[in-house]
Amino acid sequence: MGGVNNAIRDSVLFTTAESVINWSRKSALWPETFGIACCAIEMISAGCARYDLDRFGVVFRPSPRQSDVMIIAGTVTRKFAPVVRRLYDQMPEPRWVIAMGTCAISGGVYNTYAVVQGAETFVPVDVHVPGCPPRPEALMHGFLLLQEKIKKSRALAGTPLGRVAAS
Amino acid sequence: MSVETPLIRTTITERFGEAIDDLGFAHGVHAFAAPPDMIVELCRFLKEHPALRFNFLSDICGVDHYPEMPRYETVYHLYSLPNKLRVRIKCRLADPPRVPSVTGIWRTANWHEREAWDMYGIRFEGHPDLRRIYMWEGFEGFPQRKDFPLRGYKDKLNPFGAEGTPPTQPDLATKNIP
Amino acid sequence: MEFLPVLFMVAGVVLVTGATLFVSSLLRPSNPYPEKNMPYECGMDPAGDAAGGRFRVQFFVLAILLVVFDVETMFLFPWAVVLKDIGLVGYVEMFVFIVLLLVGFAYAWLKGALEWEA
Repeated sequence: MGGVNNAIRDSVLFTTAESVINWSRKSALWPETFGIACCAIEMISAGCARYDLDRFGVVFRPSPRQSDVMIIAGTVTRKFAPVVRRLYDQMPEPRWVIAMGTCAISGGVYNTYAVVQGAETFVPVDVHVPGCPPRPEALMHGFLLLQEKIKKSRALAGTPLGRVAAS
Repeated sequence: MSVETPLIRTTITERFGEAIDDLGFAHGVHAFAAPPDMIVELCRFLKEHPALRFNFLSDICGVDHYPEMPRYETVYHLYSLPNKLRVRIKCRLADPPRVPSVTGIWRTANWHEREAWDMYGIRFEGHPDLRRIYMWEGFEGFPQRKDFPLRGYKDKLNPFGAEGTPPTQPDLATKNIP
Repeated sequence: MEFLPVLFMVAGVVLVTGATLFVSSLLRPSNPYPEKNMPYECGMDPAGDAAGGRFRVQFFVLAILLVVFDVETMFLFPWAVVLKDIGLVGYVEMFVFIVLLLVGFAYAWLKGALEWEA
């Protein structure tokens, strides 16, 4: 049964469709402007003139309903974690998360009672960008890694057509 | 910083005498020690005296001197906008710490006292709305006390915390925040 | 018969939008769950009067008045086109119609339906 599934799913129709869909998704990654702490400044400067993010198709959107990727930039405290989770929940699929900075990856230098030790404990993270704060070029590298990840992923994974192909 | 001037000391000693100790001129600010039951009277006097007029409450801090007794202390920093004078009032408190609230004198004391309550457990009597301001609803314990571990206590979301349970406070009133 | 192109255009529009929506419903992921469907309020639970279902009734009243008077305006358009053919009688008839609706408008105004506060 597995062999038959892959034969349909790997046929030229679906792989071409997936490569086109993946290309369109990775070329227009719209992040939700979600800067919490100091990493937000580096995110802002990455989006500004010198380290331009707009050339990758990255346009910052004010609302989670219109965005593809959430950049968690800064220290997430335990009081704020439910808000971050709710904003992640309100993003439509397909959605990705970039954890920017060591505080978002693992709590950073703050191993205290009030800081969540890593955003990965409550949202699934796709790309970690280390640094305190990471340079704008590092954030750009993170976006390029996310684009590679999207290129290799299955675009029709949760869709009705994908379910038809997999059944 | 204010200029070293005997004005504050003379006005306080002439009104309160020996009840208020003079702690000297440390770090550019005159400091005085007051017992907790005289705090409100002293603050109102400092605010309304025509030569002093300390109408700006800069800060209310809580301090925990753990092995020493009396354990807690509240420190009030006052500034006089018309006369450009600063003064520091320290008030040692026993355990459990209770002190009358100065929200009737300066409205800004509301949030400063909420911070001292949240971090140290210093209860301000007469405060209109004493509830936590930094920590989340349902948090148990007072984080800035010397016996509270820096990493917090181990629970579901804090795998690196210290073992044990936080000290629960039965009168931890957190109202429904709309 | 001279309106056949309009029919073709309407059919074409319906067909194109239907096909587009159908194809994208096949190609998009669908994963609704309660937190995703909640109204966006910067990550918090919705607060305030509108969140509890308490809407201001003035919105509803204005919407009803809009429907009535908009339909009246809609009737004015074909009347204006054929005014020359129906002559004076048709002219006066429309004014009778407008006066009937004006009575309703005056009632709404004097009863305070157009007040925004309370």
